[in-house]
Amino acid sequence: MSGEGLLINVGEGTCGIAAGAPEVTELLKKRFPDAKFTAVGCVGMCHQEVMVDITNADGKTYQWGNVNKKNLPKIVRFHRGEADLPEQLLIKSTDAPDTEKSQYLLKQTRIVLRNVGQLNPTSMSQFQERGGYTGIEKVLKGGMSPEDVIAEVKIANIRGRGGAGFPAAIKWGFARGAPGKVKYLVCNGDEGDPGAFMDRSLLEGDPHSVVEGMLIAAYAIGASKGYAYIRAEYPLAVEYFGKAMDDARKAGYLGNNILGSDFSFDIKIKEGAGAFVCGEETALLASIEGERGMPRIRPPFPAIKGVFNSPTIINNVETLANMPWIINNGGQAYADLGTEKSNGTKVFALAGTIKRGGLVEVPMGVTIRHVLEDIGGGSPTGRPLKAVQLGGPSGGCIPESMFDTLVDYDAIDATGAIMGSGGMVVMDSKSCMVDLARYFLEFTQLESCGKCTFCRIGTLRMKELLTKICEGEGTMEDIATLEELAPSIKQASLCGLGQTAPNPVQTTLEYFRDEYIAHVKDHRCPGGVCKGLITHTIIQKDCTGCSICERYCPVDAIEGELKKPDTWVIDQQACINCGMCVEVCNPDAILAA
Amino acid sequence: MSNASLEATVDPSEVQGWINNLGTEPSAAVPLLQAVQRAFGYLPRKAMDLIIENTEINASQLFGVATFYAQFRLDPVGRNLIKVCHGTACHVQGADRLNTSLRHVLGMKDEEEDTASNGSYTVEDVACIGCCSLAPVMLIGEQAYPNLKGADAQKHLVKHAKTVGEILPGKDADKEAK
Repeated sequence: MSGEGLLINVGEGTCGIAAGAPEVTELLKKRFPDAKFTAVGCVGMCHQEVMVDITNADGKTYQWGNVNKKNLPKIVRFHRGEADLPEQLLIKSTDAPDTEKSQYLLKQTRIVLRNVGQLNPTSMSQFQERGGYTGIEKVLKGGMSPEDVIAEVKIANIRGRGGAGFPAAIKWGFARGAPGKVKYLVCNGDEGDPGAFMDRSLLEGDPHSVVEGMLIAAYAIGASKGYAYIRAEYPLAVEYFGKAMDDARKAGYLGNNILGSDFSFDIKIKEGAGAFVCGEETALLASIEGERGMPRIRPPFPAIKGVFNSPTIINNVETLANMPWIINNGGQAYADLGTEKSNGTKVFALAGTIKRGGLVEVPMGVTIRHVLEDIGGGSPTGRPLKAVQLGGPSGGCIPESMFDTLVDYDAIDATGAIMGSGGMVVMDSKSCMVDLARYFLEFTQLESCGKCTFCRIGTLRMKELLTKICEGEGTMEDIATLEELAPSIKQASLCGLGQTAPNPVQTTLEYFRDEYIAHVKDHRCPGGVCKGLITHTIIQKDCTGCSICERYCPVDAIEGELKKPDTWVIDQQACINCGMCVEVCNPDAILAA
Repeated sequence: MSNASLEATVDPSEVQGWINNLGTEPSAAVPLLQAVQRAFGYLPRKAMDLIIENTEINASQLFGVATFYAQFRLDPVGRNLIKVCHGTACHVQGADRLNTSLRHVLGMKDEEEDTASNGSYTVEDVACIGCCSLAPVMLIGEQAYPNLKGADAQKHLVKHAKTVGEILPGKDADKEAK
């Protein structure tokens, strides 16, 4: 069988490619040379990469996960009718009962991610087949005025998905009313939160929806020029978004007199250059202007005086990608989802110690536990989950006891964390909350632009104190100093970076104070993470004397005779507690405690 | 950095080409530096001087921008670039061990050192490449390696070095090649 009549979609987002999608595609093309192949964006089931969707000639569909060159022949033989269905690789099929794996997608509500993983992101025609650009057509051909558009978005009550949660319609209203010949719309794709990848998946997997969202927003505020500010770390996003812009321009959706109306708008891509602070509106504007990305004092707000001193609206990728759906389905349909003050859906990037990580879109108002356990499948290690970190360096840690908190801007704010852009990093009992706080402060301290003293020096002091505690040198006074510094940094910083930098410290101090005290008083790291507080020893009764640890030890601290377990020891003076030996030891004979 | 042999040769007409394409106004600073870095892997002094001479961007702005953003570097890079992701998901799952392991076979002892003494590889930490469900991740060139342990990173590097014909100056590097 040459594969004639088969439709094969392979997920080729950044994560699919990293997991080996190109190799799988190549092999499949050899087996099924006559099949129709489509490289689709990432559907967000990152834990199942490489993913392959195959539709048989008779219309039956099969979604395969964790495909690699070793297990691929099983799938090939099945589609040739030569073997039974390889159940362990199946995620979902029209020909089989739903698997546990398929719950991941079945339990989601996909509005923003409606197209991601369903189409070839570089294909204009596939986007249009799925209703692409009908939103902007409804606006321009259906006689909606900019005020009508703003009114619809107001009914939807969508709040900014970049983190701060400011209502989009109100922001647009400011710029609509601001005087100025030229107005700008900026799409903020500078997804700097380590641990978040929603925007990447959207820009890579459904770039046209972001272009369309920008068109709707630009029309509403009266902007004629747009910038898409995309992180340079996302080369594929830059490439696909650029292709989408070119195709939109050819089809008459970008440029002068769009669809015969008097609305003109075009977009330029600005690649970010690696600065977390540029996620902050005014810093992003400075960056577009070619300056160091340092925030500016507000007011004047960007809506009045933004890029090149013109009225400017900056919206997050996810906010914009919602707009075509809102216009097509009406603001009310969107507002019907969620809670009273947080409407619609939110996309989370689920990662860390979790069985099924990836992109999760849920209606606001579900519990965090639902996201982690029902969709994410809970802990993969057998150890209980301890906490989830929300909102990256600006956010905080929510302990397991509070997993019933609702996904709602205000409910999450009340815990001390923030909704943020949607990064969710899950941790089990083998993680250290003090080390995590130190990690984030190291990050914010490096990324602080240096403009405000409290942020520049305050985050450095916090980092130093946390490092000291992690090394077992901390005192109770250090904890008190951290608590004193935190509110001062928040109050005396100009922008969101400094105003939120202490959040990881404050939330871990609130919910995991016992861990801090264990570090300080008992010189013990309960998670077994902090290098200064653990020692590595060989349990000789479990050791086989294979010497693999010796070979991988970077400091020659391990010695013994081959195949003589009772001779193996670790030189504690030389050991740097890097943990390499634990990783390579097959019989688990090295104890880190 | 002592790697004088890694210094790039800058052709002025190439730099002028980028200026012609990207513009001479101050807002062209970031794109111009990105073009230079894309070509050379770092920002050679000669290229910086050419931009200052031939655009409206002055030295203070250009160096200010070059030193502000994490993407830019003023030192030459090794012939191969390894990026180790240190996003949150990678951090909590042991990304530090990738650095320890890579630096070990590359013979990089000094903490400040990021390039092997023979110029073969540079190890760079990056904030997050957005493949969090595949953590920990590293890139050698454009190729991503997912779900790594420290030892895996070393094995991939040894294999890569063999393919591209580089010698790894660190201890026991050859012994691990399997």
